[in-house]
Amino acid sequence: MAARIDFASLTLKDALDLAVLIEDEAKERYEDFAAQMDQHRTPEAAKFFRLMAVNEAKHGQELAERRGQLFGDAPRTVTRAQIFDVEAPDFDEARAFMSPRQAMKAALASEVKAQAFFVAALPALKDAKVRALFEELRDEEVEHQALVKAELAKLPPDSGLSDDDFVDEPAAQ
Amino acid sequence: MSATCEFQAKDYKSDLKPIWCPGCGDYSVVQGIYRALAAIGRPPHEVAFISGIGCSSRIPGYTTAYGFNTVHGRALPIAQGIKLANPDLLVLAAGGDGDGFSIGGGHIAHLIRRNIDITYIVMDNQIYGLTKGQLSPTSQKGRTTCTSPYGSLENPVNPLLYTLAYGAGFVAQASPTDLAGMAAIIEEAIRYPGFAFVNVQSPCVTYGEEAQQIKGLKAISASLKELGHDPADRLAAMDLAQHYGEKMHLGVFYRNPEPPPTYDALIRERQVQLSQGALPKERILDLFIKK
Repeated sequence: MAARIDFASLTLKDALDLAVLIEDEAKERYEDFAAQMDQHRTPEAAKFFRLMAVNEAKHGQELAERRGQLFGDAPRTVTRAQIFDVEAPDFDEARAFMSPRQAMKAALASEVKAQAFFVAALPALKDAKVRALFEELRDEEVEHQALVKAELAKLPPDSGLSDDDFVDEPAAQ
Repeated sequence: MSATCEFQAKDYKSDLKPIWCPGCGDYSVVQGIYRALAAIGRPPHEVAFISGIGCSSRIPGYTTAYGFNTVHGRALPIAQGIKLANPDLLVLAAGGDGDGFSIGGGHIAHLIRRNIDITYIVMDNQIYGLTKGQLSPTSQKGRTTCTSPYGSLENPVNPLLYTLAYGAGFVAQASPTDLAGMAAIIEEAIRYPGFAFVNVQSPCVTYGEEAQQIKGLKAISASLKELGHDPADRLAAMDLAQHYGEKMHLGVFYRNPEPPPTYDALIRERQVQLSQGALPKERILDLFIKK
């Protein structure tokens, strides 16, 4: 949660470490979602979530390399406990029998959420380099949204079915 | 105890894939448990995880700890037996609100009064999800389900007040709206020397109401720490616990600042006392043979 980060005193090293943690969390959540979809025989949504996990891992790797070039093996002082659900979709965004459209909409909402996180943090940042990094990350989230929207546009029209069509009616006991 | 080994959350994750509904709150609870166990650092073979019956009671199978998916409502008596037979084990018990407060409701009081060193995690979703959505002991009054088609006439059990009133030394509440916070609370509960209760508001995505999903829970959540609550103040904890169902207070409601000795420790002490005057094993039959 943003409240756990002291943005005013954030250094570039810590900011890069946080960015890596944010990408790691999102990657893990997408992997979990993909596994849930596999388990419930929803392969198309699983495939999309796996693609998102690969993308998040790639971004995380790029940020980790940049951090390594700038700060080497200097120990990390920020922790996973300081961030929660910044770019990762909420746990209950996954649903049984998700269509690819629903999966993409969940991912899009997460990219919007991540952008909002970086936008909200900007006024509190004091370090110019950290500010530049956050602006860059904010803009990347906008690019990711455009990518997901492009994928959404490729889909055939929505079937119009809702989650409720797949839920068993409560049966009298 | 392998105190020199460092464990990561993934070391407690078994190869068994959860079959909960996608989006179920229990996915986050198991993640929180992995993280808490990694922070504690006990190897999986020194942990026993006991559950009853229900969606959430599948949880031991998803960990690499020893596990026992027992019978409905009976996680606590079995966990108690395990702890007394092998006090060195770290014993966790888990289940749903129905398992804990209806079918097994009578057991909690006795574990609390004995103060057995067990951490009990209840995944409270206010519904019987596994059996397709019947009224559970924590369902809100007025709730419409297949067993209450005109709305429930019953008041819900308040798990927080229930455990506080019986004198539990550690009572906390967590939710998937804050995974790191949940992991920290579970860790603290495990570290508490005595019976520790953690109520986790874990949404049922299939039969739960909209207000009980993560977005709804976020809207009513408040951190006890940020409210300035003193976890040593039991009466203040009971006051806050009364808001169960209206507000979702997250954090430690009560932690006894002076934990009394645990039942398992007292039993060991008595065993040592009695063994001093006991007959040697080879003369044990003398107790039953009249001379």
